[in-house]
Amino acid sequence: MMIESFLERPTPTWMSMEDDYSDIVISTRIRLARNLDGYRFPLSFTENEALQVEQAVTHAVQDSTKLQDHYSYFAIKDLTSLQRQILVEKHLISPQLAKKEQVGSMLLSDDESISIMVNEEDHLRIQCMTASFQLQRAYEQANKIDRALEKALPYAFRDTFGYLTSCPTNIGTGLRASVMMHLPTLTLSGQMSQIINAMTRLGMTVRGIYGEGSENLGNVYQVSNQITLGKTEEDILADIQSVAEKIIQKERHARGRLMEKAELALEDRVYRALGTLTHARILTSEEAATCLSNVRLGVDLQLIEGIKATTLNECVVSMQPGFLQHYAGEVLPPAERDRVRAKMLREALFRENMSKPIIGKKGEDPYDV
Amino acid sequence: MICEHCKQRNATVTVTQVQNGQKVEHHYCDVCASQFHPFHAEFKQEPVSIQQLLSNWFGSPTWQQQKVDEKQQAQPQPQTCPQCGFTYKRFLKEGKFGCPSCYDSFSEHLPKLFNRIQAGPQHIGKMPGAHSNIYVIKKQIEDIRKLMKVAVDDEQFEEAAKLRDEVKELEKQLQFEGGDVT
Repeated sequence: MMIESFLERPTPTWMSMEDDYSDIVISTRIRLARNLDGYRFPLSFTENEALQVEQAVTHAVQDSTKLQDHYSYFAIKDLTSLQRQILVEKHLISPQLAKKEQVGSMLLSDDESISIMVNEEDHLRIQCMTASFQLQRAYEQANKIDRALEKALPYAFRDTFGYLTSCPTNIGTGLRASVMMHLPTLTLSGQMSQIINAMTRLGMTVRGIYGEGSENLGNVYQVSNQITLGKTEEDILADIQSVAEKIIQKERHARGRLMEKAELALEDRVYRALGTLTHARILTSEEAATCLSNVRLGVDLQLIEGIKATTLNECVVSMQPGFLQHYAGEVLPPAERDRVRAKMLREALFRENMSKPIIGKKGEDPYDV
Repeated sequence: MICEHCKQRNATVTVTQVQNGQKVEHHYCDVCASQFHPFHAEFKQEPVSIQQLLSNWFGSPTWQQQKVDEKQQAQPQPQTCPQCGFTYKRFLKEGKFGCPSCYDSFSEHLPKLFNRIQAGPQHIGKMPGAHSNIYVIKKQIEDIRKLMKVAVDDEQFEEAAKLRDEVKELEKQLQFEGGDVT
């Protein structure tokens, strides 16, 4: 497939699935880091080695009969900086891979749920994503790809240290499991810092949606394991599963309490946010993220009807700088982006929200008693 | 008393500061104390990079350098990786390995490091297909050797000889699978 077809849609088809956790968990991601024995890691390899690694991986992926999906290949250096930015905004590649000028490429499945990064920090990073909270399913998918590729590629592995990786924080299983969660009430009630502290002691990290160093824009957090050695894959997944479930429980409890204690205030907050999104003319990414978070909470608590979670997911992705400029069809200075962002969100939400009459029927005076 | 910064290790260092004429005492462990900057009352709260972590824990603060230098004269220097030329010192500085062989070159230093930043020094998870065969055979050899020792101790030499032959067979199989016989 051409790169344009991946850039066109803000959210891929796999994102539209909903289940019991969709009110809190946005998506689940599994990443496996692998390297080939006999080649230096990308930090210090030569361009020739990079090319050999890339060829070996690309052939292994495209020749494997065990891999049912079709993969499109893209060399990072062939993409424009805007195209790279959009791929990062969609979490299909890491910001680190996007910066690679010479080496670095990606293999992307047609539905975008699987992306294989080549020559990022490690020779190979297999990434599988699912909607909502499906750790096991995402892991099974990644494991299947890993099992198919190990037949063709000489993985760097030692009995003691497991899968060898460039950074000692990925050694052993090379597995990073992340659950992306929307936690507005835990943030509002100031419980997040306490949770983050507790998680660190359990060998897990909580970050903003764009990984290390990014703030919790729009109350969205990414919970992932930090420990990769000395535990089995099953243990790592079970730990993340139970911790994420506890957080979900806490968030639901906090939402329930907030509804009991301050339903009107909450409703006011949610509708003000919707008002801003459907009427504002200038929106910074911070304000838009906060408003989208509030509207999402309103939808989850059924205070607002008629807006789909998928529309909100799309808005979250497409309000980012790369997408906005793609949508506008030109490079925009930051101030201009705020105007286009407001226009884009207005069009996306006004259409959906206003298509249903909110108060009474047409022609009827709601105050006529 | 536990360290008030990491809240994990025992506090061994007391830092006394005078703030607005008031004496304030802080208690830190030696690891956190080495990061404490006397001109800034608080620790930097930014996420610690792996490089910082490695140099703080496994490199030495400058004031300890002299002591370490003396120690190092007695001990052999950490090796240089023959495949990529990385030294252990460079690994600590970069926070990354140069190539897979670095793990073999620096293997004696790594368990201590992994004990600190991971759940343990030994991989217990999934293995690539061929390795999992090698692992099973190695485990069998280990078990039979234990039985052999018991047989020898009990002076059951016939039984011990039988077990020795079994080990030899398994070692042949191990070599065939590409594992090293040690």
